[in-house]
Amino acid sequence: MLKATAYLFLKHSTHRAIPTRYLTAAAELQQDERLQSFRTQEADPSKHSKDHLAQFYTIPLSDRNVLFQHGGLPKTFQQHIKTFNETCLMVREPAVDIINCLKSIDYDKPAVRFVLYGKNGTGKSISLAHVLHYAFKNKFLIVHVPWVGDFMRHCKDSSNSETREGFIDLNINAAAWLLHFRTQNAELLKNPDLKISRDIQWTKRESTAKDSSILELIEHGINRMRFASDCVNILAEEIKLLSNAGICKTLVAIDGFNEFFYPTTKVYTEKKEIVHPNKITLTEGFLNLTKFDWKNAAVIVTVDEMTVKVHEEGTDPSMSHFPRFLLGKHGFEHLDPFLPVNVPLFSKKEHESIMDYFRERRWVRPYPGQDEELYFLSGGNPFTLLDYCKSL
Amino acid sequence: MMRKIGIAFRPHNLLNIQNWLLSSRKILEIRTLSAQASSTTEIGSIDTGAPVENGDSKKNLSKAMKAYLDRAREHDEFMNAQRVEFEIGKRHLANMMGENPETFTQADIDNAIEYLFPSGLYQKHARPIMKPPEEVFPQRKAAEFDETGRPYHFLFYTGRSNFYQVLYDVVEHINEMYKFEDSMTRKNLQPDPMLKLNLSGTEWIAKSALEFRVVETVSDREYNTFVTAMDRLSNMPFAYKVKDFIMEYRVSLMNQSETYDAIKPQIREDGRESVTVYECRRKRAIGNVTVISPGTGKITINGQGISYFEGIQEREQILFPLIFSNMQNKVDIEAEMQNGGPSGQAGAIRYGISWALRSFVDQETMESMRLAGLLTFDIRVRERKKPGQAGARRKFTWKKR
Amino acid sequence: MAAAKGLFAKCQLFKWNIQAISAGIFQNGMAIYPSFYIDPIFRKEVQQELVQSGEIDQYAHLPTKPAANNQTCSLTFDPDISLFTNYLMRDGRKNFARQLVEKSLEQVKRIQLEKFHKCTSEEDKAKIELDPKVIFHRAVTNSMPLLQLMPVKRGGVKYQVPVPVSHHRSRFLGMKWLIEASREKDKKTVRFWTQLARELVDASNNSGRVIRRKQDLHRQCEANKAYAHYRWS
Repeated sequence: MLKATAYLFLKHSTHRAIPTRYLTAAAELQQDERLQSFRTQEADPSKHSKDHLAQFYTIPLSDRNVLFQHGGLPKTFQQHIKTFNETCLMVREPAVDIINCLKSIDYDKPAVRFVLYGKNGTGKSISLAHVLHYAFKNKFLIVHVPWVGDFMRHCKDSSNSETREGFIDLNINAAAWLLHFRTQNAELLKNPDLKISRDIQWTKRESTAKDSSILELIEHGINRMRFASDCVNILAEEIKLLSNAGICKTLVAIDGFNEFFYPTTKVYTEKKEIVHPNKITLTEGFLNLTKFDWKNAAVIVTVDEMTVKVHEEGTDPSMSHFPRFLLGKHGFEHLDPFLPVNVPLFSKKEHESIMDYFRERRWVRPYPGQDEELYFLSGGNPFTLLDYCKSL
Repeated sequence: MMRKIGIAFRPHNLLNIQNWLLSSRKILEIRTLSAQASSTTEIGSIDTGAPVENGDSKKNLSKAMKAYLDRAREHDEFMNAQRVEFEIGKRHLANMMGENPETFTQADIDNAIEYLFPSGLYQKHARPIMKPPEEVFPQRKAAEFDETGRPYHFLFYTGRSNFYQVLYDVVEHINEMYKFEDSMTRKNLQPDPMLKLNLSGTEWIAKSALEFRVVETVSDREYNTFVTAMDRLSNMPFAYKVKDFIMEYRVSLMNQSETYDAIKPQIREDGRESVTVYECRRKRAIGNVTVISPGTGKITINGQGISYFEGIQEREQILFPLIFSNMQNKVDIEAEMQNGGPSGQAGAIRYGISWALRSFVDQETMESMRLAGLLTFDIRVRERKKPGQAGARRKFTWKKR
Repeated sequence: MAAAKGLFAKCQLFKWNIQAISAGIFQNGMAIYPSFYIDPIFRKEVQQELVQSGEIDQYAHLPTKPAANNQTCSLTFDPDISLFTNYLMRDGRKNFARQLVEKSLEQVKRIQLEKFHKCTSEEDKAKIELDPKVIFHRAVTNSMPLLQLMPVKRGGVKYQVPVPVSHHRSRFLGMKWLIEASREKDKKTVRFWTQLARELVDASNNSGRVIRRKQDLHRQCEANKAYAHYRWS
């Protein structure tokens, strides 16, 4: 199965001719030139620069299976990957800016924090995925939360925490996240230097010894879901210590960070009361990781309007996509100081690029004036554009 | 809506004005004009005025004929009197307005009356008028038979001789056409395409106009017969040979000149031209739309971009006039809308954009926009609920008992 | 000033409208416009055709009705799909109906692209239709019945008489059957647009539930051929 898809991927991701029934002989040549202009062969994000802006690069299947096995790419995008038989991301300015920053920051200083913000559907998650790929290629230890809404809004189960009074554990979600962490960092976790700094006593009979590999800690958390949430918190502490010691460099990537501060969740106590994220054990671990009291690390976070929209009925006129509003007072104080990175709407060039890509992939039937019409209708919003290309 | 309803005469309007005009002057002696310049109808060669001479043998006159003559004479006298009054009145009016009585035209009379007798009535033909008596008073038929009782017109016994004369003429022409066609076919000649009858822009005269012309009542059915007959005649290949006859019964349609009367653009501070359409409406939505040229295709609605509208249908509606006239990247649009829902607001903006774009576009494009339905104001509104019914149309469930 | 004057005239019309209502004269959508108002010709290519054939002169002096809400000159506009959306719409929720149709067309594309990528030879690839609108048209054309059964009462008995069906009615039946077939599904797991997509693809290949229904109807008409004369009796 993988071989077949790999074959198809190889067959379709390289330069190939458009069927002539769409084109005259003269236009075919022009189309080939444009074909090359919207794709780039550079598959290493470290080498992406301003020259590659508005071009599509393909994530190799092997990388994709490791990085995004358990989430990280938006649902609609996953469907597109399946239909197009390839994972192509557009190289856009926010991601390139962050990558350049990551290349040039001094890792001996406290962790730098980036906040990706933008209107709904502008491509924050995709930019985050791009940066993740860069981190993967450069052997960062990746702490990636694909979607905080999975914890807060789609929690599979909840139980009272054993170690802390009044706190709620999300067992299945925590275990699933540990699995995700293990898959992403499979290569790096083989490194014997990644050791736990202290003894951990789970119960009377179960314990994890000091200087045992982090992998054991994770395995324990996955196998024993009861302790998964606590395992996550301990893992967070250990990772910080390891980074401080310089054994590994870490990238923390969290999508939908503002959900950690939004008071309304879909997590309920036994008495059917809404649980504030403060009272969820998992929150503590991730908030710990996003502090600036450690080095050899970088933190990238996105803030999302959808969090608030889902809970509020109708559109609040005071609604804004800016971080200060979405994070709220506590979130802002926690993250301050940070580097805000705006994810803008499509420019005309990016719009043309994605339309060329869709036409090449046979997703969209071309007609004269298509680009201008769709640019006007979508207003440059990437998600809306995808929406309007559905029936074309 | 634009068709003229037949002239409804308001003799009291006329009389009042003329009385008013004459009251300040001595009424001159009314001279009876000769009966030859009388009120008999003249439609082509249908009916000629029956000469009446008082010196004829009165013994042979039938009672009906006598009555006719009396009535005809009275009518003639009356019409003459009215004509004289009208002329005098016209001269007085000219003097009053300080114009030259010799060159005082009907248009001048109309303006003068409008000025002197301003009326706020909505129906134009209820307002004061001063027109020549021929236009105001209905025409009457002259004597239709002579003293022996023998009718002049061969179709007299149809009861509506003038109308059936028209149909008779049509049939005559059709038969002529058939013969002509046959003769041409024998010579292997085709009808000249250059001379083909072009009836576009005209329509058959309205029923009321036909009634006025033949001085007879025409029922709906008879009118339809007339139209069918005329259509048949005009669809014949050599119809151009009877073009004059056909065009007598054609009336030109309304002119779309109002559509071409574009708003004059204003110059803004930054030197660009702009046109603002105020009070663009659709259902309950109302607002102003400004189109600025030259532009880049930027659009602002209530301060937001196109994302103001969530549905694709609304966005497409705003795009419609722009891509239709190929002005999508050439103008900027600013709209302020209140009330209504998204659909109504989008419709109002579409109308506003179309109406404003006329100023930046040539006449041909304006005409094609009109045909596309962009320049027609959409007067459809939500129909009210009626008492005794559940909705506007929906009735309550009918229960047998 | 001319704008204000023109608008005043429009408002006059508006006032007349109110008068008409109060007089108890009912209006019905576009029927409020007099009969000599022509339907708008909002497609650019249709207008160009008329110009070339010279027929456009007859419209020069006729007023037009306004273009409807869903009509555009954009090349994405398809009158059949627009009609289908209207049939699907409930409670006047046009945007929602449109979303359903668009999602089902998207699903059709995905199904077809999957087949496309599975094919190895260029010949096979060329045979697969990737345009969802073409598939839609094929599906509707294939679902349109030629005859329908009308109940005719003769001698106290109601016979099902086969009767030829007009183009409009046939098209309506085809589209309605497609919608009904899409509604018959597992409500918990399958979405409407997925089912509709499957039905469209099946019908365009002359297979599936809708085609079966049409063929059943044709078979019944064939069986009731004997009663055909009851139409005129």
